[in-house]
Amino acid sequence: MKKVRKMGMGAFIIRRLLLTIPTLIGVTLLIFGVTQLFTPEQRAVIFLRQDPRRAGAIEGAIAKYHLRDPIIVQYQMWISEVLQGNFGWSLTANKPVLTAILAKVPATVEVVMFSIPITILVGIFLGVKSAEHRDKHIDHATRILSIIGYSLPTFWLGIILLAIFAAALGWFPISGRLGAGALNFVTSRFSGWRTYSGIYTIDGILNGQLWITLDALHHLVLPTITLVTIQIALIVRVMRSSMLEALGKGYITAARAKGLTKKEVINKHARKNALIPVITLAGLMAAGLINGVTITETVYNMDGIGRWAASAGINIDIPSVLGFALFSGLIYVMANLVVDILYAYIDPRIRLE
Amino acid sequence: MEPKGRLKEIKAGITPTIKELKFTISRIKNSPLSILGFAIIIFFVIIAISAPVLAPPVCPDPFRIWQDEFTIGSARPPGSSIFIDFNGAQALKQGYTSHIFGTVEGMDIYYACIWGTVGAFRIGFMVVVFTLIIGLIIGCIAGYYGGVIDEIMMRFTDIIFAFPGLILAMALVIALNRPWDIDNGFLALIFLVPAAIVIAARYGFKFSTLWSVALGFFGLICIILFRNILKSPSLLPMTLNLTDLDKVLIALVIVGWPGYTRVIRGEILKVKQEDYVEAAKAVGCSDLRIMIRHILPNTIYPILIIASLDIGSIVLLAAALSFLGIGAPYGYADWGQLISFSRDKIYAGRIEPWKYWYTFIIPGLFIAVFTLGWNLLGDAFRDILDPTLRRK
Repeated sequence: MKKVRKMGMGAFIIRRLLLTIPTLIGVTLLIFGVTQLFTPEQRAVIFLRQDPRRAGAIEGAIAKYHLRDPIIVQYQMWISEVLQGNFGWSLTANKPVLTAILAKVPATVEVVMFSIPITILVGIFLGVKSAEHRDKHIDHATRILSIIGYSLPTFWLGIILLAIFAAALGWFPISGRLGAGALNFVTSRFSGWRTYSGIYTIDGILNGQLWITLDALHHLVLPTITLVTIQIALIVRVMRSSMLEALGKGYITAARAKGLTKKEVINKHARKNALIPVITLAGLMAAGLINGVTITETVYNMDGIGRWAASAGINIDIPSVLGFALFSGLIYVMANLVVDILYAYIDPRIRLE
Repeated sequence: MEPKGRLKEIKAGITPTIKELKFTISRIKNSPLSILGFAIIIFFVIIAISAPVLAPPVCPDPFRIWQDEFTIGSARPPGSSIFIDFNGAQALKQGYTSHIFGTVEGMDIYYACIWGTVGAFRIGFMVVVFTLIIGLIIGCIAGYYGGVIDEIMMRFTDIIFAFPGLILAMALVIALNRPWDIDNGFLALIFLVPAAIVIAARYGFKFSTLWSVALGFFGLICIILFRNILKSPSLLPMTLNLTDLDKVLIALVIVGWPGYTRVIRGEILKVKQEDYVEAAKAVGCSDLRIMIRHILPNTIYPILIIASLDIGSIVLLAAALSFLGIGAPYGYADWGQLISFSRDKIYAGRIEPWKYWYTFIIPGLFIAVFTLGWNLLGDAFRDILDPTLRRK
């Protein structure tokens, strides 16, 4: 018999963390490689902590950060600056890139915070229903809906929703994160508003101003629907096929033979096991969300990192775009790390070697 | 052997292939969704082929949408008349009587949609071809030789995978934005020196192919490092001016190749252990011959089909870039760009929200139906080509 070496959870996490380091170095190398496509004059902005439109700022940076020196020296300079949190000066936001990212992240977190749970719960529900009633109407409807959701361009769906529900019917506001009144209240110095997280729905509750929370929620409905529609197709498809696979297993037949009701079998036995492959999707979903958020925020004019990065792209604001790319790369690597650890925790077979 | 017997043998050899092909076709016929997908794609192919007839070019460059110079900045509904300016006069000469789908930014939506189809096929096919070539070369080397080369290449795909596609494409398009100063001497060195090293090592020193390729890579890296260290003045200064479309193309290829590379590598790993590969090795075939004559024919067809079905998602990504304003240049026939214009129109038309429906419904339908067609076909083919699902 082959000897199986068991690995504890702690050992697995440490191993996985160590494996992340080369990927992180690779991510920085790729972004650094992209910076090498620019001339030293253009590249200098990536290092500046202040507005580059001062006399001598660019030349100073070229000399200070050795931008005409060999690649290895440049990489050392760049990585040490990045580790100190210096991503350069963003012309679009008119502040350092890291400050701009931190200022704009709450809006993005707010949309993502609502769309992830909805996507997962509804997606799993539809996937299970679809597998349960295989080749019935509900299955066909779900499959067609998921293919359509998969094919729709995010920006088009956003605009259609905007035109129907915001512009034509007037149910939802057309753009932004807050209405005029709420925005005045939040930005006013005299209203006593305190910013805790920058996420208006949470800050509204913490400040005891529920109307702000409601107003923010009202603005979030359409962006959330857009993100959920685009993302859900993947979950439904994987959930359906893994549920079908689980339903064909011996332990399901055994459970049915034992006399359990169909509902119990599906909810307790099949669904739990079918969930495992869905967890691996989380990494893919993270990438999809970053892409989706960029477009959704642009469509709905929400002041998050996605819209900022897109406008930086149009204005050829190099440090902002690269800073955002690095940032999203890091987020993605971290998401995959968490997913892998979660996966190993839920399915002990992964830890075995 | 008698000619007749040989013919029989060939027939016997082909029969299973034909049988499988017939089975595949019958599977496609039996699935209404894939028929629909197929019909949609045929429809778009017909539009693309007959584009010069459906929408005769008005400007010298057919991909340039003709514009009513008077109405730039506004949108006009379907059927509105043509202003007789320079473009308008040309358009009348070409047989246009009105703006069939209306205009946005003064651009004729009908023309943009028809030539946008050609543009979509163009970018889709080009990206698929280039990614496939890169994927095949790297996937083959990584899968066949394994070991260190495989490890390095797969880590490299990991790094590209560590970025969300749209964001990386965006960063690359921006990065390619300046004229690229490449001196011819350096360009020649990049290609010639590694090639010379590989040939010398393989045939001069009789190294194994693996080590020759590895040495070639090493040479390439050395050249790049040396150039950076020495900062040699360029021999023949040359500026490579990339058009906006080239940038999008390069960005999409860089984002796309790791996916195929992994699939191809996986396929090759499966086939590598087969008896016929061992047999070819025993006979003394070279690695290149084994790869091209024995491994590729047994792996490539599913990959080709899956890759070409990716056109839908490639077009979607390109359209998203154009929507953000980073892709196709202003005035280039592109669906995504039209929709980015229409977004401004919705904000503007708040009082009469549906006034500008034609600016986003029509181009949006083109994109959505196009990608839907590819996805329907792709779904059907994935089931059909997957041997585990094939006969279920």
